Formats: sequence, structure tokens, C-alpha cells
Amino acid sequence: MQRVVDIGRRIELVPMDPHFNDITIGLYRQNTNHGNNTPVFLVHTYSHISGAADRIETVVKAMQVLGGMLKNDDGLLHFPCNSAHEAACRRVFLEACKLAPDTPAEPRPLNTLDKKSKLTITVDSTGKGVYRVTAEGEGRSAARRIFAIAGGLAKLGEMETVETDNRDTVTFACEQSHDALVGLLLTRAPNVRIVLRQEEMGSARGVLSAPSQQT
Amino acid sequence: MPNAMTSRERVFAALRNEPTDRTPICNPTSVATVELMDLVDAPFPQANREPELMARLAATGYTELGFDTIMPVFTIIQESSALGCKIQWEQKDNWPTVKMREPIWEDVDDIVIPNDFLTHPDTQCVLEAIKILKKEYGNEVAIIGKTMGPWSLGYHCFGVEPFLLLSLDDPGKTKLALDRMKEATVQFGIAQIEAGADALTLPDHATGDLVSGEYYQRYLRDLHIEFVDRIPIPLILHICGRTVDRMEYIAQTGMAAFHYDSKNEPKESMDIVKKRIALVGNINNPETLFSKEPEDVKAEVIKNLEAGVPLIGPECAIPLQTTIENLQAIPEAVRGWHSENTSTT
Repeated sequence: MQRVVDIGRRIELVPMDPHFNDITIGLYRQNTNHGNNTPVFLVHTYSHISGAADRIETVVKAMQVLGGMLKNDDGLLHFPCNSAHEAACRRVFLEACKLAPDTPAEPRPLNTLDKKSKLTITVDSTGKGVYRVTAEGEGRSAARRIFAIAGGLAKLGEMETVETDNRDTVTFACEQSHDALVGLLLTRAPNVRIVLRQEEMGSARGVLSAPSQQT
Repeated sequence: MPNAMTSRERVFAALRNEPTDRTPICNPTSVATVELMDLVDAPFPQANREPELMARLAATGYTELGFDTIMPVFTIIQESSALGCKIQWEQKDNWPTVKMREPIWEDVDDIVIPNDFLTHPDTQCVLEAIKILKKEYGNEVAIIGKTMGPWSLGYHCFGVEPFLLLSLDDPGKTKLALDRMKEATVQFGIAQIEAGADALTLPDHATGDLVSGEYYQRYLRDLHIEFVDRIPIPLILHICGRTVDRMEYIAQTGMAAFHYDSKNEPKESMDIVKKRIALVGNINNPETLFSKEPEDVKAEVIKNLEAGVPLIGPECAIPLQTTIENLQAIPEAVRGWHSENTSTT
């Protein structure tokens, strides 16, 4: 008897959970939230081993805190604005899976120390889903880093760049604030290229190459 | 006549170039994924080394994905391990590989098939898994085993570069090496038949990127004809890459099927082999099955069906992170295409 059921389109995968018996955890997108035709997300594992369901619940709770997501009566996650923000949701999922179970999930602050420039980078909400990146400190190349980090936020969160003189402003298409989500994205935005390259390498694992291409 | 045949009958008929009730969905190589490993609690690397786990994971190709075949030999290293190669077994999310930088043979005279070749734990695992699957599914599904060809064993045991250089520098020695290594192919193949395999995949990686069609004709065609004579069940030759330049020679071998890569167009390939050998495979792994959507998978399936390809499946062992829904799209597309074509004809 078939045990695999239709649970939506898989949009992200952690093939080996470092915090629980190497189980595989997937993030699935469904396109109806109680018939509202709005996107919702399911965190799922096919593992039946004891404790797997609890581990999934821990990840779901962490996603609620780290990404400011809500859980509906069916246990499915969505953003308060009911927009998909799929790329951002994937990032929230990956960060939630990285969090050790004994570390309480806490919203990330809207500022961070940029190790490259030694500047303190802050992201301010100016309302209607618009966020502006600023820098404080003695570091060099502030304008360039602000531009790069705004670009990193745009890439990781599928945000839109707002045309400003300093190229320091990004916005969510839903025009609603997502402070927790932006705080989370800010931790990775300064190194967005490295983050994306690492993920690309991770997803290439498990692709079999012919013996002639192996070493 | 919908579902008039069992999966096993359907696959056998297609391999014999006989009519089928619908095109069989066949995986001559692995369709294991990390999610399926979780579903049946049979993760890599253990599922490559413990027969119960190997059988359990392999069965999901039939029970969960809806393929007409079960193929438990996920890797290409089982017999190389038994020959003495060092293996990097890896973790759940990656394939085990032979450490080809540490070759076990340097010269033709080094080639020895160990006495315990068929009782080594890594060949025994395959034989035991086939026995389990035969007992549980043998009446309904085609159980496909796998025995590696001598060209692939040459890469593993001599190292890729030394073996290719040998083939350039000393064709006589190369033929002698292939001749000696082929005994491993035959021994393991026959042992799998005795364990219950219905057909065998025979990967022999004279791949399009490194080896020409002329090379195939010179070194491998006659050997492959010999395998057909000595291994008395349908053989499915597997070679990766663009291989249209050798399909004519492959069609002359008498093998039942050729498992072919997405780098070859279905129609162009069918035109070459005509009906001398069945084709199977061609659904692209790294781009389509791994990264695209079910609709893209279905489009490739239909392209094969419309070209008259008699068995449908992925081109090679699928990436371990492939989505289940993309794999399920293969049988869905086959059934959908047949249902549409039946209703309109």
C-alpha cells in the first residue's frame, strides 16, 4: 500500500538534520489556506522514528519565532500578510533547522556587525514593507557595504529594490512589515554570495556522476 | 486493455520486443531518495550493505513510485569492493565511491578475481536482497539486478587515467585485461540470476565524454555479445552520455535493452537502433528530475512515448534529493498518455 501522500510542492530540503538522527526534513508549499487560495507551508519528515514528530514541531515553532510566521489550525505555516515570500520562507526553514533544539529561538535584531567592514549595519522599517539599510562606525566603504547588504536582503527575501540615491532601500511587494523576517535575513545578507554558493554545493551532493568523472 | 498484464509480464514483454498493455516504467538504476530512505528507515550507507534494508528501500520504487520494476543495486561499487578496492562509503545524502586514486591493480597480471568474490559481504548483500525481493514481489514485479561490465571495473581497479592510457598505448593488454575482468561480470550476473533476478543492468562506462564509438566497437561490442551468450536473462546495457555514435554497434550485441542518456534524442536513437534493441531511460536527472517541476518531467516522458521508446525511466541513478512528486510524475505521464491515446483511437 502506498504510504506517500500528496503534501504539496517541495521547495526546500534538509537531507540530514544535524540535530536529530540525520532525518530528512522537507518544506512543502500548498496553495490553499482553509480554501482561501493563499499559500501555506508544511514542514514534514517521512521518518517514523520515535521523536521525529517532536523534532518537526520544534522546527515549526522556531520558524514562527524567527520568521514571524503564523500557524493555522492544520499546523501549516503562513505569513501574516498571506503572501508566499517563498524564498524568504525557505531561508527561515533552513535557519530553523540549524538551530539546536536546546537553544531557544529568538527573533534576530535589526542590526548586525558586518565583519568585512567592521561597521554596525542597521535596518529600519519605514512602513508599508519598506526597509532602509544604514551603517554606523569607523569602517571603510560604508556606501558600498550598504548597497551590498541591501542587495543581499533583496536576493534572500525576494524583495524589491527601491530607487534611492544611496541604493539603500528595499521593500516587500506585499507592502507589509516583516521585522522578524528581515532580522533573520540580515544575518546572512552580508555574505549572500557565500551563502548561496554553499547551498548550491550542498544540493549537488547526491548527484551521481559517471566513474569517468569521479576521482 | 488496461492493466491486463502484471508489471513483471509487461517488462518482460517490452524487453522481448513484444506487445504490452501499456508502456512499462522501468528503472534499470537506482530511484532511491533520502525521503524514501526515511519512509522505510533504510538510509545510506547501511542500505548498500545490509540486505533487508537494501530490499526495503528498493521496494519503494514499486510500492510508492509506481514503477514496474524493483532494482536493489543502488551503487556501482558492490563488486569493486569485493575485488578489493577501497570504498568511501559516505553518508545518507551521498553516493559511495571507489577511491580510484588508490588503484588495486597496475598490470594485467595483477588481475585476480578473489575466491570469496561472491561471498564477500558487499556482493552477498545484493544476492540476499534479490532473494528477499523475489520472495515478496517476484510474481508481480520484475526484479532487476546489476553486474558491472569490465570497462567500468577497469576504471575502478586501475584508475580512470591509467586504464584509458593503457587502452591507447597497448590495445592487446587492454583486451587481455577486459577478458580477465569479464569473469567478475559473468560470475556476479549468474549469481544474481540464481538469487531470483529477472533481468540485469550491465553498466559499462564507455561514456560519450571519454570514449569514442570506434573504441566501443573495438573493445566492447564482442564482449557484450559474449555476455548475452553467457548470462541467460535479458541484459540492459547502461552507458552514460551521448552515445548515438555507438548505438549501431550496441544494437548488434543482442542485449535486450539499452539504458540511454538524455544527451541523445529519443527519435534519433530509435531511428538508429530500429527494433533490434529496446531503449529505456532518457528522462534527464540533474536538470529535469532534480530541479524542475512534474510538468517538465511529464513532457520528457511524452517525448519518449511519442518516439516509440518501449520502456520509460530515468536516464541513470537519480539524485538522492530528487522530489518524490517528480518521480511519481513518470508513471502518471505514462498512464495519462496511454489513456488519452486509447480514447482517441
